[in-house]
Amino acid sequence: MLWAALLLSSRLDGTPPSTDALHGLALWALQFTPRVAVVDEAVVLEVEDSVRLFGGKRALRDRVRQESTDLGAGALAWASTSLGALALARAGIENGFKKPLSDLLDGLPLETLTATRPHRTTLSQLGCQTLGQVRALPRGGISRRFDADLLTALDQAYGQRPPAHAWITLPETFKARLELMSRVEMAPAMLFGARRLLMQMCGWLAARQAGATAFTLRWAHDTMRARGVGEGGGLTIRTAEGTRDIEHLCRLLAENLAKVELEAPVLDLELVADDVRPLEVASASLLPDAVNKGESLNLLLERMAARLGPERVLRPVLVADHRIEWMQHWQPANEYRANGKGAGKGKAKSKAPEAVSMPQPTFVLATPLRLAMRGPRPMFQGPLQLLAGPHRVEGGWWHRVKDEAGERTHLVRRDYWVAMSEHAGFLWVFQGRLAEEETGWYLHGTFA
Amino acid sequence: MAAALQWTGDDDSGPVPVSLPPVAARTASSELPAAVERALWRGDQLGAPVSDVVSSGFPALDAELPGGGWPCCSLTEVLQAQAGAMEWRLLGPALRRIVAADQMVVLVAPPKHPHLPGLRHAGVDEKHLIWVQAETPAERLWCTEQLIKSAAFGALISWIPQARPEQIRRLQVCAQGCDGPVFLCRPLAARHESSAAPLRVITALDVDWQLRVQVFKRRGPAHSGGLSLASVPGGLEAILTPRLAHPSRLTPAREVPADALGSPVALVETRRHAPVH
Repeated sequence: MLWAALLLSSRLDGTPPSTDALHGLALWALQFTPRVAVVDEAVVLEVEDSVRLFGGKRALRDRVRQESTDLGAGALAWASTSLGALALARAGIENGFKKPLSDLLDGLPLETLTATRPHRTTLSQLGCQTLGQVRALPRGGISRRFDADLLTALDQAYGQRPPAHAWITLPETFKARLELMSRVEMAPAMLFGARRLLMQMCGWLAARQAGATAFTLRWAHDTMRARGVGEGGGLTIRTAEGTRDIEHLCRLLAENLAKVELEAPVLDLELVADDVRPLEVASASLLPDAVNKGESLNLLLERMAARLGPERVLRPVLVADHRIEWMQHWQPANEYRANGKGAGKGKAKSKAPEAVSMPQPTFVLATPLRLAMRGPRPMFQGPLQLLAGPHRVEGGWWHRVKDEAGERTHLVRRDYWVAMSEHAGFLWVFQGRLAEEETGWYLHGTFA
Repeated sequence: MAAALQWTGDDDSGPVPVSLPPVAARTASSELPAAVERALWRGDQLGAPVSDVVSSGFPALDAELPGGGWPCCSLTEVLQAQAGAMEWRLLGPALRRIVAADQMVVLVAPPKHPHLPGLRHAGVDEKHLIWVQAETPAERLWCTEQLIKSAAFGALISWIPQARPEQIRRLQVCAQGCDGPVFLCRPLAARHESSAAPLRVITALDVDWQLRVQVFKRRGPAHSGGLSLASVPGGLEAILTPRLAHPSRLTPAREVPADALGSPVALVETRRHAPVH
């Protein structure tokens, strides 16, 4: 048996840690093993069967130590029994395997075992200072003079009796609260606290074999706040793929928090997992995997969308239309996955052969540019030489839009030409009708 | 004296455990194992990059590029007078290979809107294209750097008109860890600045359907003169008539009035007015 005891450091004013904090730590610990219990002010977990999954004892120990420190755990100890580990953690000894456990425990003071506390006075009057001295007393006498709990606890700590714990069960939904150490006035500074909550959430997700696609961070304003400022605020973050990668979630949150402006100082944080999906993790491979070198493109695009805005990281969808402006539709990359497989793709497939056969520019202008004229010739960086055309594009009466000027249609009637410019290369220009009988030449694209 | 002997003895046996073949034998390349041969660079050769390359699709250009194509783990600067005039004509054949290998093409801050129906002629399809609309120079650099670091793309084309040499150097250092070619499209004026990109190419329009390409920085001897590469953009091959194959011959001399008989514009005018009259 390999037990770890994580002692949560008490708060600044000396009061024991809150149940919320203990429960949060236990949730995080559930990712390593289902055998997690809360004992007094500590969390104990049994990880013997998980050692190989997490890459060996040393790797597991390092990971537990590092992450639990981030979560605020003060002391950590390893031993072959849960109460033994807890006693060692209280005494500040981390490794319970360097000597036989009974040797280590014998030297510890009485306070390290909770069951001795009610009998502290009697025991000290008997001359017992350490656990070893209590253990040396005759067993029959202990059970008669003290209650049976002391003997049970002693046996459990020394591994002579199986431990009995009320295991923490995994909740169906995740919701965690955190009281910040001090008032936070800048939104990015909330990240420190939010990271703790995210770590708990990632532990919960790992235990459920799931990944989050949406989570909400809520904050409550301090009671000392200006009038007219609300109770608090919130931020919901969505990802395209379920993930429980703490680094990625933290970066996304950081990008979003950078845009938030707090109306009042914040004292409380709450994290809720809104949408959770089952997640298949890549199995560990014997051979080195060349694919997983960097961050995956989807994760990166999400991060860029978080900074630039989702409408600026785009992927195209072809649309069956012959007017250049509506031939394609640019969609935010994070929505693409959902829609791209459905209607958009089907349309593109049916349209594909036709689209390939027609010459089309590779760059287009957002709005056609009216060209200057010299006599009958359109000019763009010098006179244009019309090479091929006209290619008549007409239609759009069915495409109605409403704007402030009232309802109108996107009707176009244009003759497209391929034009050559000495400096700008090959251009896609058109002659369109203006009011009356006039016509005008426009630049619309480039064959770049 | 003993110490000196000791020292020379070390020098002979330490760094060169295997005795070198004589000079005459070393010049014959067949003597060397292939792995050594690849790692060896001689002064008269083009430098062979350690990384993979993607063929540019133009045999004449491949012959001038170290390794025979666009390098994959480093930056390539494409300099041109006007952004958005010939990028796809130059890079299209290479992108076609990348998309065919099911990898993504990412565009950062192109000067105009990319037009997918036209890009399909260059082999780029909708499933493999991403457009990142960065605007400020800082955003362009940030996006480019993040993409390069992620190494999750097949090809990256980034339009960075303003960048300081140390910023380009930073990108180049990051690029050594990625797998695809990274193209930075920059204005022609940047040729006067130093750049950490190991390959820099100046492109310009040439007569007719040709591009003028000069490789003005590469690993190896300097490239004198330029190359003319025939590249017809956007599926226009399909409609090229023999007359259109040499559009430069159509350009009237400056003195000829635009609406003279036989000039294309005059033809247009008569054709357009014909039904009316």
